[in-house]
Amino acid sequence: MTESPLWPLVVYFFAVIALVLIILGLSSLVGPRSTMQRATIEPFESGVVGIGSSQIPISVEFYLIAMFFVIFDLETVYIFAWAVAFFELGLFGYLAISVFILILVVALIYEWKSGALDWGVKKRVGLRE
Amino acid sequence: MSGLQLQALLPIITLSSLILIQMMFIAFARNLRLTVSISVIALLLTALSFFPMVDHLPISATPLIQLDGFALFYSGLVLLGALMVTFLSYDYLRDQGERQDEFFMLLLLSCLGALILVSSNHFASFILGLELLGVSLYTMMSYPTRGLFTLEAALKYLILSGVSSAFILFGAALIYAIEGKLGFTELAGMNHTSAASGQFILLMGSTMIFAGIMFKLSLAPFHLWTPDVYDGAPAPVTAFLATVSKGAIFALALRLFTTTGLIDLDPLLRGLSFVAMVSILAGNLLALLQDNVKRILAYSSIAHMGYLAVAFVVAGKAGGQIMAMEAASYFLFAYFLTTLLAFSVVTIMSIADHEVDTTNLGDYEGLFWRRPALAAVFTATLLSLAGIPLTAGFIGKFYIFSIGVAAEAWLLMAFVVIGSGIGIFYYLRIIFAMTKAPRTDVKIEIPTASGWVAVVLTVSLVLFGVYPSPIIDLIGELMISFG
Amino acid sequence: MTEAVMVPMEHGLALAAILFSIGLIGVMVRRNIILILMSIEVMLNACGLAFIVAGARWGAADGQIMFMIILTIAAAEVSVGLGLLLQVHRRLRTIDIDSASRLQG
Repeated sequence: MTESPLWPLVVYFFAVIALVLIILGLSSLVGPRSTMQRATIEPFESGVVGIGSSQIPISVEFYLIAMFFVIFDLETVYIFAWAVAFFELGLFGYLAISVFILILVVALIYEWKSGALDWGVKKRVGLRE
Repeated sequence: MSGLQLQALLPIITLSSLILIQMMFIAFARNLRLTVSISVIALLLTALSFFPMVDHLPISATPLIQLDGFALFYSGLVLLGALMVTFLSYDYLRDQGERQDEFFMLLLLSCLGALILVSSNHFASFILGLELLGVSLYTMMSYPTRGLFTLEAALKYLILSGVSSAFILFGAALIYAIEGKLGFTELAGMNHTSAASGQFILLMGSTMIFAGIMFKLSLAPFHLWTPDVYDGAPAPVTAFLATVSKGAIFALALRLFTTTGLIDLDPLLRGLSFVAMVSILAGNLLALLQDNVKRILAYSSIAHMGYLAVAFVVAGKAGGQIMAMEAASYFLFAYFLTTLLAFSVVTIMSIADHEVDTTNLGDYEGLFWRRPALAAVFTATLLSLAGIPLTAGFIGKFYIFSIGVAAEAWLLMAFVVIGSGIGIFYYLRIIFAMTKAPRTDVKIEIPTASGWVAVVLTVSLVLFGVYPSPIIDLIGELMISFG
Repeated sequence: MTEAVMVPMEHGLALAAILFSIGLIGVMVRRNIILILMSIEVMLNACGLAFIVAGARWGAADGQIMFMIILTIAAAEVSVGLGLLLQVHRRLRTIDIDSASRLQG
């Protein structure tokens, strides 16, 4: 392995910092000073005036979907790992991943039936009155 | 994979498939009685599925799972605890809200995690078991819709438990970096092989794992979460946390430290002695200041984990391993019976209450006049916790004491004696509170399932306190096939 | 394995240790529960990094498998954490951890 010299990296690092300092310094020296005006604190200074707060309450369903996404997204990691080694694993691997997917399917059916996937009004299957 | 190995996985397969079946029943025909029946059947079938392999021990099925007598004994304890908690939770949850079925599924999942944990022989199965146990437990804690305390306890436990899992994982990564192996048996005899810098990383890694496990067992410098979580969690879940969760983690720790030889690291052994002493002292002294039964039980469990840590220290001394394991196993058995019984009394007291559990010492005043049977049961528990003769707790403590003497750990023994002395004081305080004049005349209903749990546990508590030899023989027989 | 592995293992472990410490400090200092959960995620991922580094040293897949397991665990922990958080928010209207301190140790 050939040892590549380190100094270009160091020069580059300092060059970047110097460039940033120069740009910031010049613009504050040369640029126009703006005083606090009526529209200064607006999000878009010369654009459309915003209405209301951006902190609107988000529906709980989004969180639920996000959680399902996190869980089911990760299962692909395992399935992908199995797919990569498909031929080496052979029949045993196939059976193992089938069990794995079966469990996922059962979980999905459960989620569906218990109304977690419904948007808006939950069906709430099988609740005692 | 051979038939024998498949047989060794049978308990795990049985329990998992029954959980799936239960899940489908919950999805299509939600019925609390049915769900609970499936839970009970699942636990019994799992217990039965251990029997075909009794003659073939030890079996290692895949590098992850090692089934030996040790694992068998602790699996039995886990299943017993889970069964009792199932009955208690049924009474506790029955009249609250509508969606209680999933709780029992989570209970089974948690139990599955504990089963994996006690037979785990590899860091991968260790972590999987630990998290399966933990994640289900947080959800169970926050399950009842009464009050905010449960949520708060669950959140606290989630955060601290996540941190401690991270510690264990990082420690495992450091050990893997030096040794290149993750299986416990393969790691045996490490820390003699590598260079000085490797030694340092190994010690770091072991210390981090050690700290993580100390946290989960709520041993002294890491015990601060215990009273809050015990107090906030619903009583049956606290029972599960105190027995099944801690018992499984203790079994795993014992296996991890003895098979890998981590226990031979001198700094760790010294740290362990220190932790044992501080736990015994802190648990017993802080319990004196409490007026809340659940908190007293929490501090008492810290002290009991301290006594168990004594067995750990003895296991690290030359020739003490099998002896220490036998003592620890009996002690844990007694602790299981006693703690389950204590929390079943708290559960029965709390069922009528819909906001928080009935835990103030004042609420227990006059219990002897209101419900003599319940008070008698609670008295038996407290005497067993204090280690008074004729109870299982006495035999357990005596066992610990005798191995301590045999290993000549005099300083530790002094702490055990002092701790037990202080302990009697606060246990008696609860008993005296129960004999006072009652404040109310409200009748305490004793539900059938919980009542039977209390009866069975009381009988075994006294029976194994008077006549402990069957269990001692069983433990002795099972521990032979360790490793 | 070719000899193109240029980063020594100790450096990788040191980076993982730094990340782990940042996460730990985050858990201890932050008061917002979401940020605490994020810090736990940082800690768990630091463990994952340590496993990857260690696995690269031995040229074995063990480290990467452990990383996958860690990813799964982190997802499960955080999902449950978010669920609890939603419940807390619904009842308290805040996610500041100090307001959830009715239990005093």
